[in-house]
Amino acid sequence: MRQAGTYSSMLAGGMSGRTGPHSLPLARIKRIMKQSSEEVKMISGEAPIIFSKACELFIEELARRAWAAALRGKRRTLLREDVAAAIANTDLFDFLLHVVQNK
Amino acid sequence: MEDSSPASPCGGGGSQEGGEQSPPSEVGGGGGGGAGREQDRFLPIANVTRIMKKGLPANAKIAKESKEAMQECVSEFISFVTSEASHRCLNEKRKTINGDDLLWAMTQLGFDNYVEPLKLFLQKYREGGEGSAKREAGGSHPATSAMGEYQVPQQGSFTQGMNYLNSQAY
Repeated sequence: MRQAGTYSSMLAGGMSGRTGPHSLPLARIKRIMKQSSEEVKMISGEAPIIFSKACELFIEELARRAWAAALRGKRRTLLREDVAAAIANTDLFDFLLHVVQNK
Repeated sequence: MEDSSPASPCGGGGSQEGGEQSPPSEVGGGGGGGAGREQDRFLPIANVTRIMKKGLPANAKIAKESKEAMQECVSEFISFVTSEASHRCLNEKRKTINGDDLLWAMTQLGFDNYVEPLKLFLQKYREGGEGSAKREAGGSHPATSAMGEYQVPQQGSFTQGMNYLNSQAY
């Protein structure tokens, strides 16, 4: 079984599965992790917690870069194409190219 | 078990989850699987939007389509990092992905500038600082008793996670 202890109580819903009103739901992060590969069998308690913060950093960074694209287009509304442009312009985000090209 | 097969993205522009205060049913872990595809594959759009706004000026508007694009990207980010981390586990014949693996994976994949903030976040979390601050802001959570648990100093896995940070030999 997965380790039952300090962090599992959060995942079990002791805290409604989240660490606060502003962070991301840990149970859902864990579910997405499990879907990413057949090899993913067990996930330690701190892994979703790390992801909750990592995702915040990621979202803010991508949003900022997308906003720069919106400004280049002389817009104040962030569109999907801005997100796509930010991804296309950033090597770090190459793994997202297929996500935004699909639609 | 949770249903791990990727859902076919056929729902079209299906119902977007609204207020997103993560219904209790969603938290059950292995409890009730296939509630809805959206819930399985993406983080709540309200939470994602809130974080997006933090990175943007106050007068910025965000189209719904770009929120949805961001949701898709975040899930892809989680999968990307998790896959890399799970390869490492496989190579080292371990079965559990831990925090150390994730930090290593992020470094491998070019997100090394996240490692330092994450280290700080972990530190705060371990001290209960981050958590309690956030919970105060939230108010209504009757979590005071649960808080005690976070401060229990038997953080084996965390120390493990911190090893990586102490020995930055990668």
